[in-house]
Amino acid sequence: MKRTLYRCLALLLAIVPPTLQAQTVVRDDLGVHRFARVPQRVVSLSWESTEQLLQLGITPIGVAEGDGYRTWVVRPALPAASRSVGSRLEPNLELVAALKPDLIVIGPTLQSQLPLLSRIAPVLLFDAYRSDHDNAAKAKSVYLQLARLFDREAPARARLHALDRDLARLRTSLHRHWGAGAPPVQVIRFANSTMAYAYGGNSMPVQALQCLGLRPASTAPGLAWGIRSTPLLAMDAWSRDIVLYQQPFDQADKLFPSPLWQAMPFVRDHRFAAMRSTWSYGGLFSIYYLADAITAAMLTLPAGTGAAEPFTRPSARDCVLAAD
Amino acid sequence: MEIALTPALSPAGKAGRYGLTLLLIVALAVLHLALGSPLTLAAQWQLLGTPLAGLNDYQTFYASWPRLLMALLVGLALGVSGSLIQQLTQNRLMSPMTLGAASGAWLALVCCTIWLPGLAAAHGQWAALSGALSAAALVLCIAGPRGLNGLPLVLAGMTINLLLGAITAALILLHDQYVRELFMWGAGDLAQNDWHMVRWLLPQLWPLLPLILFAPRPLTLLRIGSQGAEGRGMALVPVLLLLLVALWLSAVAVTAVGLIGFICLLTPNFARSLGARTAADELLYSGVLGAALLLATDLLAVLAGQGGAGAVPTGVAAALLGAPGLLIFSLRQGNRGAALARPEPTAAGAARAPHRLLRRLPLLVLAFALASLCWLPGADGWQLAWPDALIWSMRWPRTLVALAAGTGLALAGVILQRLLRNPLASPDILGLSAGATLALVLTALLLHQPLQQNGAVAAAGSVVVLLLLLWLGRRHRYAPASMALVGISLAALLEAVLQFALTRGSADTFTILGWLAGSTYHVSGSQALWLAAEVAVLAALTFAGQRSLTLLGIGDAVAAGRGLSLGAARLGWLSLAALLTACVTSLVGPISFLGLLAPHIARLSGARRLPAQLGLAALFGAALLLLADWLGRVLIYPAQLPVGIVASVVCGLYLLGGLVLLRPRRRAS
Repeated sequence: MKRTLYRCLALLLAIVPPTLQAQTVVRDDLGVHRFARVPQRVVSLSWESTEQLLQLGITPIGVAEGDGYRTWVVRPALPAASRSVGSRLEPNLELVAALKPDLIVIGPTLQSQLPLLSRIAPVLLFDAYRSDHDNAAKAKSVYLQLARLFDREAPARARLHALDRDLARLRTSLHRHWGAGAPPVQVIRFANSTMAYAYGGNSMPVQALQCLGLRPASTAPGLAWGIRSTPLLAMDAWSRDIVLYQQPFDQADKLFPSPLWQAMPFVRDHRFAAMRSTWSYGGLFSIYYLADAITAAMLTLPAGTGAAEPFTRPSARDCVLAAD
Repeated sequence: MEIALTPALSPAGKAGRYGLTLLLIVALAVLHLALGSPLTLAAQWQLLGTPLAGLNDYQTFYASWPRLLMALLVGLALGVSGSLIQQLTQNRLMSPMTLGAASGAWLALVCCTIWLPGLAAAHGQWAALSGALSAAALVLCIAGPRGLNGLPLVLAGMTINLLLGAITAALILLHDQYVRELFMWGAGDLAQNDWHMVRWLLPQLWPLLPLILFAPRPLTLLRIGSQGAEGRGMALVPVLLLLLVALWLSAVAVTAVGLIGFICLLTPNFARSLGARTAADELLYSGVLGAALLLATDLLAVLAGQGGAGAVPTGVAAALLGAPGLLIFSLRQGNRGAALARPEPTAAGAARAPHRLLRRLPLLVLAFALASLCWLPGADGWQLAWPDALIWSMRWPRTLVALAAGTGLALAGVILQRLLRNPLASPDILGLSAGATLALVLTALLLHQPLQQNGAVAAAGSVVVLLLLLWLGRRHRYAPASMALVGISLAALLEAVLQFALTRGSADTFTILGWLAGSTYHVSGSQALWLAAEVAVLAALTFAGQRSLTLLGIGDAVAAGRGLSLGAARLGWLSLAALLTACVTSLVGPISFLGLLAPHIARLSGARRLPAQLGLAALFGAALLLLADWLGRVLIYPAQLPVGIVASVVCGLYLLGGLVLLRPRRRAS
């Protein structure tokens, strides 16, 4: 009798439509999606989503521009098993279909291909960088949404806590070197030997500075993607700041020995240092990588130069990586 | 020729013109110093004798002053070089940039930066210089000794320009992260960080002196010669020498400050309209005026940069100022127009009968269409099979779009070349595709949004250009030259806005480059069907009205004599060509070259009469674009090359081959 009951129950479960079974609800920029199973074969067509997936321990079977990712984004490392399916702007959809994915993650540039892509597999669209939302907060929400989809929410939250501890360690080493405080910091990337892009509000480097308890020299929103082009003659605005430039800068030998550059107050007073190459348009963890690179650069500078601002303890409001 | 007939100004008027311009330069220079430096003018004066102290002193001495001098030198070199080229080719729409100097420098620098970054950083100027000179030398070799002051030179220049431009675009698209440091140079920037580049440029400008002393005589002879019989012309050596000097001057200027080509084109035209008549006068005055113009534009760039909009490259300001300037200038010039229209080249390959080709071409189109549908590499190597439903839905829109777009552009090319009686006319020369692209880029820039392929915005851009063309055309009875001026101005404006967008360093760069390349990737099935329908209707209209086009192509007198209303007929044909271009461009982006080349191939294959030329050109256009699309999907699988780039390279190589192969025959005839 009992056995029959169990059998009936099992039969009932088997014929219940999949919509009534346990479902994962994921929210992306297209709306709400329901997944009955954890996707196994993922194709990621933007570098941000590739980075976030790898961070969760998911290896996509196909990625857009794998070689470019390995050169420019670098961390976390992309396994050789991930097949490159063409450029980020125009990935090869036939190859994507041939890989038989059960999830495709895209950025906004591929929105026009949604009808085709959703015939291949369910599509998630994440619009990572916009001027009208908080890019860092967005990166965190994308990370957590993906973690939920892949049933890795608990380890993901644990990773975030670990990251908070790692950040505290970076802060400690900064405190040890700089004492109570350091001048405001401006992170830049050179455009050529007469112009640089300065990272401003809503950019990942500024978020990293806030997570380190450093004061960003400028939090004014950039003109596009959080950056503002700044000619050489306008750089005296940073006279009292620490200026860190992102490598690589091929024309360094042309600019740095020049008398004008040597006369810049931040150069003369040793408040200028190189930062190792770090991708600044990445996912959530790129904030930590940037913070790490900033810390390393700050440790190469002599302490006690310039007017120091006291270190702050970042709250969850300034830093998405801070524990709530 | 109307220039020689106009009486020269009196010596007093000439001296006054020079005096006023020099005064203007001094005034601009003082303003430039006052605004471009953190120090006051008085403090700058004191700086002359004393050692540098504060940061502001260093900024003034190492950035503001060299920048001022650079603007003067580069303006001078570009003005003289532009005037020289325009006098040599007897064509006021030519400039050294038309002869490949800029595109050669740009390609060389991009290649060097991608593959030899160390060399590019240390000796980039030499890479750019050798690129510019090699491209120009290539153009001269292709044009051949007899083509130096005629159509062959123009054709060779355009071909090399577009070919190198397409290759560069492909390289940038594939390696965009590597070449970001070049975008500022690409936009043309005069900013300096010490005296290094001024010291480099100054000794390279030595040919200016002997040029101004010795060039006027052969140039004057050339003017007289062009009025007389064709063969009596100039001795080869002086022309070649002068060409080399002009190219050298523009090459070193471009190398020093990047792509500020517009000054070259603009200055000699302004000089002439301000009264410079003789060869010597035009040459010298173009130099002086060039310095004044570049100084003025740079002043504008400095001001704009201080206005909080971020750095504004000088090249952008030059085009923003120059493009409307050229337009207004062309309006005032009226119908005397530029010497763009030239006799059609003799069809050298006319021996073959067109009908045999007409019979084979459809087969070729069919073969390419089939290949793009069922013979492509897949995940496990090449596959030759009819696609399944999913793959079919990915492939057929591209095939249809390539077919329709190729046909449309080729037809537009034939119409424009007949209408303007100009073998170099093409949809991109009228600025229709530039208008569409410009509208898209501006929308993205102004609304701070990622660039998206928005058909409505692109079409609106084309329509605005069309309206502008119609308005101008009504005033000038659709004279070819003023039509072409719109295109040239818009293309320069577009180039500038694009370069500006690129220098902003945003990640949109990538999308902008992708759109610019011309791509069938993003086209949906319904869009493809729409385009095909539009092109079919417009093609039917074209064939239906071909008699009036034939008459217009022969000459105004003939057309009017047969009872054709010239204005109405021109308006109709212009609108038709514009519509064809707008439909195609709004969907796939700018595809240059095809509209220029397809009519030529058709004529070279023996299609003398209009219906045959239309048919052959349409088939060639379709076949070429299908082939380009297929190649783009195959060459660097799994990545893809945009169809526009592949088409440009294919067409460019074809035209290059044609130019080189046809040369001996031309000489023999």
